[in-house]
Amino acid sequence: MLAQQILNGLVTGSVSALFSLGFTLIFGVQKLLNFAHGAIFMAGAFIAYYCTISGLPFLLSIGFAMVATGLIAILTDFVAFRTLRKRGNAEFPALVSSIGVDLVLISIAQQVSKTQVLNFPFGTFPIKFYEIMGLRISLLQIVIPALVAVLVAALIFYLKKTTFGRQVRAVATNERAAALLGVNAQSVYLQTFFIAGALAGLAGVLIGLLFNSMQFLMGEPYMLRAFVVVVIGGLGSVQGAIVAYLPSGLTDAIIFALLFLVLLVRPNGLFGNVSAVAGGTRQ
Amino acid sequence: MINFYYAYQPIIDFFLLSVGFGYSQQIALRAGVFSIATAGFAALGAYVVAILVTRYDVPIWATVVLGMAVSGGVGFLLSLPLARLRGAFQAIATLAFVQIVLSLLLYGEDFTGGALGVTGIPRVLNTWMLLAVVAVVMYVMWSIGRTGLGRVFDALRQEESVASSLGVNIGRYHALAFILSGAIGGLFGGLQSLYVFQIEPHNFGFAFMVNVLTVVILGGRTTLLGPIMGAAIMAILPELARPLAEYRPAVNGIILILVITFLPNGVGDEIVFWFRRRKTAKKAQALAAAQKEQEARDAVTSS
Repeated sequence: MLAQQILNGLVTGSVSALFSLGFTLIFGVQKLLNFAHGAIFMAGAFIAYYCTISGLPFLLSIGFAMVATGLIAILTDFVAFRTLRKRGNAEFPALVSSIGVDLVLISIAQQVSKTQVLNFPFGTFPIKFYEIMGLRISLLQIVIPALVAVLVAALIFYLKKTTFGRQVRAVATNERAAALLGVNAQSVYLQTFFIAGALAGLAGVLIGLLFNSMQFLMGEPYMLRAFVVVVIGGLGSVQGAIVAYLPSGLTDAIIFALLFLVLLVRPNGLFGNVSAVAGGTRQ
Repeated sequence: MINFYYAYQPIIDFFLLSVGFGYSQQIALRAGVFSIATAGFAALGAYVVAILVTRYDVPIWATVVLGMAVSGGVGFLLSLPLARLRGAFQAIATLAFVQIVLSLLLYGEDFTGGALGVTGIPRVLNTWMLLAVVAVVMYVMWSIGRTGLGRVFDALRQEESVASSLGVNIGRYHALAFILSGAIGGLFGGLQSLYVFQIEPHNFGFAFMVNVLTVVILGGRTTLLGPIMGAAIMAILPELARPLAEYRPAVNGIILILVITFLPNGVGDEIVFWFRRRKTAKKAQALAAAQKEQEARDAVTSS
């Protein structure tokens, strides 16, 4: 029974990690908190749902949802962050404007779904169960962690090994210096937002499949969880976001107390690098 | 006038409560603290009042004062660890504080009533009492603005290192801002309890936080007029935009984005700044005119 619980926690946790990845990526590059991330996650699930019921093959609708949420994330950057970034000292204003984007997306989703709970039609994903050492594992529970592992590996490879990745990290460390060395910061922002949005969208579809229920506020608990995961792992640290996902079952009080504690003792997270300064005088 | 009052009384009361929560949020932002803890303070104040009034027969006004003291005290305790954090990290920590308060209220079922909350709170408040309390809080805020305390807060907001080099004890003044924010938040949380018959943790969730933030961002973060303008717009807008009632969150969201992008000081602050600029411009003009006259007189006497 306990093993079954741990397995369930592992599957949901891996999706949460996918969600938090995009969030921490944006914070790492821009030092801005994107509150609209939860709504983009929700949008992914919704778009995949409406594509599926209008007759598109499921895999195609996932792809479509990922591209669409990537574009929504880029739009968020244009609408909510770009002007504020130019003015400088954008931390707090950006938080507010991304809450604005969040409200708009949620409101649209509420109207589109007429405040109903949506379910994928039966058999969207083949339902097969395997018995392994007394555990009941569905095909979905195998596919999801595998998919997440592949994506995370790809993302780490992209960030650490490719030229694009080096540009992303250069901009994250120092935008001006990177620009002087000929890195196009705008294209880096577009890429990070697209990746973050697409990952959130995919996470939305997977959570929608896993629990087979989607509604317009589904992003909110994941958003709050993401703060915890991301702070404990270290804001802006990709590996941290993976390692620090929490098995569900802990009560919120404990989780958020833990968050508080980590912020105080290790403000840069358990895996964070020192470049993101949490304390001290504001720069 | 009387008809107007009866027709719009709930809106007026909602407006007054929003102004109160707005000041709680504003005093923190004014001191350069990115706190979104007002929702937590309000929840604490509301629950202290609700529980004491319904179960322990404590005089109602004593419970409000007690709720205020508890929230202020918690604000002080919160400020101690938060002194180590800045910016976005501070915002996340205060968000965590709100979540801790809400989940404790949710899980402490025997004492707080869990998700159902506290019911059967007597409704003793009317618009005039609310108005009186808001007036007192406004007076306090006005005096803060006029004294050295307000200048210290402004300095801390604008450039912390400069304030520190001028001998301002950052930790102490941030603590003071948290205490004030907590006390005002707790006060109006308690008043809300005495107005709505029933409270539950959900009342103080994400939506509440966004509303309070909207009031201050819309209105302005430094002037007395700020939260009043913000709350007034928030109260009147749904009346004006009746056809868009279903899209109200979206309208709020768009307003938030537009105001923070194009009017970063907020409507109320911009109005006050405009008057201030005009005043200084007039003064300068008068000074220049006087100078010219003097010069002319000098020229006459010397010739």
